[in-house]
Amino acid sequence: MITAAFQRLDRSARQLAPFLSSIFLVMLSALPVYIPGYGQVAVDVGLMTVFYWAIYRPDLFPVIAAFVLGLWQDILVGSPIGLHALILLLANWAIVSQRTFFQGKSFAVIWWCFSLVALAASIVAWVIVCALNTTFVSPVAVLFQAALTVGMFPFMAWFLARAQHAIVRPLDE
Amino acid sequence: MKHRAESFAKVAVPVRALLNRFALLFLILAAFAIMLLGKADTFMMERARSSVVDVVAPVMDALSRPIATVSEGVDRFNRFFSVYAENTQLREQNARLLEWQSAALALAAENSTFRKMLNFVPERGASFAAARVIGDSGGVFVRSVLINAGSAEGIEKGDAVVNGDGLIGRVAEVGGRAGRVLLVSDLNSRIPVVAEKSRVRAILAGDNSPTPKLAFLPPNARIEVGDRIVTSGHGGVFPAGLPVGQISSVADGVIRVQPFADFYRLEYVRIITEFPGEVAGQIVPSSARPSRQR
Repeated sequence: MITAAFQRLDRSARQLAPFLSSIFLVMLSALPVYIPGYGQVAVDVGLMTVFYWAIYRPDLFPVIAAFVLGLWQDILVGSPIGLHALILLLANWAIVSQRTFFQGKSFAVIWWCFSLVALAASIVAWVIVCALNTTFVSPVAVLFQAALTVGMFPFMAWFLARAQHAIVRPLDE
Repeated sequence: MKHRAESFAKVAVPVRALLNRFALLFLILAAFAIMLLGKADTFMMERARSSVVDVVAPVMDALSRPIATVSEGVDRFNRFFSVYAENTQLREQNARLLEWQSAALALAAENSTFRKMLNFVPERGASFAAARVIGDSGGVFVRSVLINAGSAEGIEKGDAVVNGDGLIGRVAEVGGRAGRVLLVSDLNSRIPVVAEKSRVRAILAGDNSPTPKLAFLPPNARIEVGDRIVTSGHGGVFPAGLPVGQISSVADGVIRVQPFADFYRLEYVRIITEFPGEVAGQIVPSSARPSRQR
């Protein structure tokens, strides 16, 4: 009886791992790092995790998780609340709807797709921020952030793949 | 019991299917609604935001400490190599400062005699609260930092935030034990300032670039590169005379100010929680100001 309860607990903890680890990583990304200018173009960790889990385990990362993660990011980072919620939702939807395309594709293809998603996300974010502030905001920082995020994606993907292997894999067995 | 479970399933299954189908649409609409609500009712959104930040502030505080230590270590290591050059420079600076010190002492003596002549009433000193920066991501669109002090330390929304170099910004949101500081360079930052020498008044308007702009200058105001800019204290929100920065460029009618404070290396900041009400040029009388007593 007790072992069954623990197994259930273990299982749900593993199921929640993608979402909870994303929450933690986004919080880490909001910490001060004392590198000049980095705070302004900080890597968009939320987008990377949403993209990764939407491709490899969409069953463990539903739209509501993307939405909550986006709100969390907005709250910690100070961006207009709802901005990242919308972007992560759209990213999640776009990838999950194209899921069959990603099956069996090499990492290079996936990286290429991520760069398209990051570019689209930064354009959407930029348009919304300009509209909310009713003024022209320079898009340079956004594009730079997108480039940096794309550049860092392989590292994050490697880390998430290790995490997936260690924590999530036993769910399938 | 079984019958009840079945009837529950009969209702729940189609509802769940419907929810799944419309979840995305619903959440997209919700995201837009939240964004518009945040634009319309900033107070409510700030409350929501600061109550969440309040909960995670201790965690972020703890996590940010090792990073700060590493950064400090690297900094100390780097400084080790410039000790000689720095020492020479400091000697020169010290000589210059000693001259200034004697000048200042003479002026202070002169000032005190003048004050006695005028029956001058001394100002109350300002009160400060100190805080550590625990989050500075800011993101692409916002220039702000999180600090680990809130209303428990007597901090209120709108308080000026400074460090040893100069003005940093103002408190934009405040929770129980954490707050968010909107930096001078943020798109939404507007601060009444005055050029120290020419006494030209203006508004320092951030535009997310590292050098904010001077706006609302009087026509044919004379501003030169290198002029020091300080807060004017108009509106009574900020004390007057806080150093802000110096003019870095005057081009095509756009005047930019290089802030004295280095926003990239903020670790500790001071929040001015209370300052003398009798600030020169203050428009709001002290009786009309919101009570700042604790």
